[in-house]
Amino acid sequence: MKKYICILFLLVLVGCAPKAVVVLMPDAEGKVGVIEVATKGGTKTIKDAGYGVHIESTESAPSEPAKMEEKKINKLFGAAIAIQPILPKQYNLYFISGEAQLTSESKSMLPQIIAEIKVRPTVDISIIGHTDRVGTNEYNYKLSYERAKLMYDILVSEGLPAGSIDVTSHGEENPLIPTADDVPEPKNRRVEVTVR
Amino acid sequence: MRKLVVGLFLLMFVVPLWAEDTAIVGEVKKVKGDAKITHTGQPINAQPGSKIYTEDILKTGKDSAMSFTLKDSTVLSLGPNSELAVKDFKFVPSDKKLSLITKMMKGSASYISGTIGKLSPESVKFETPDATIGIRGTKFLVKVNE
Repeated sequence: MKKYICILFLLVLVGCAPKAVVVLMPDAEGKVGVIEVATKGGTKTIKDAGYGVHIESTESAPSEPAKMEEKKINKLFGAAIAIQPILPKQYNLYFISGEAQLTSESKSMLPQIIAEIKVRPTVDISIIGHTDRVGTNEYNYKLSYERAKLMYDILVSEGLPAGSIDVTSHGEENPLIPTADDVPEPKNRRVEVTVR
Repeated sequence: MRKLVVGLFLLMFVVPLWAEDTAIVGEVKKVKGDAKITHTGQPINAQPGSKIYTEDILKTGKDSAMSFTLKDSTVLSLGPNSELAVKDFKFVPSDKKLSLITKMMKGSASYISGTIGKLSPESVKFETPDATIGIRGTKFLVKVNE
């Protein structure tokens, strides 16, 4: 008994810091995912926000998930949380059938996207062009590229450095809504713009 | 012959995508104090806008912090005295090539999962010296003590 008290005392003394701590958090929209923490000794699944596990060694399984106090979370992770950047945003812009021309509704989104870019101290952007399945594969590759290039030209004309923009085109191969060949689908005639 | 021509034509659009894939994988967004990126053995001071490549090691010193995003919109933030390596990053959704492996040697981090995590959760791994974390579309915090 005395021995255990001694060990307990020693653990308190050294703070008993585990080798690692993992805590699940809700994302910006409040959604909570699932994480699995695995060592050679076993695997624990965390499903609840604010719950975490301790890891003591490779050989032993992680501890049972337990609620971690907000105060403790802030103490351990406050500095990392405070440096978090503005989160990436993705936009879908839609096009007129067979053309590298934005629908008027999508055109009206441009100021919002440009504002989102300008609010960031440093930005990198991905532009991916897509088409629906009307026309041949080759035609659609070319069209999806022209659509992406249009967005690229708009952003460069707004003063964005070309080096911070990636342009790719997927033709008809990556639809939002899968269809049979030669079916027009407005939702697939799009350019995805991601602002990071 | 016609097939070859079509093939070459398609390659014109696909190749730049691969070229990008082997190059820049992310960008530093915010820095506080002493933050470094070690790229092919040579540490440089990290600044907002600094590029990150596969196998780079990111380090922060005392009272320092940094954050960065990857090309799939994963967001990683590091607290003080931290060290993390981007071991593998492949992001070519059109080709089903997806992989993201990060390893944290020490310190504290906040991790917000990106597109690779959404498209292919099994392709995302976050390693610590003693454990591997599998992620299904989410945010989590990690602290690794030396």
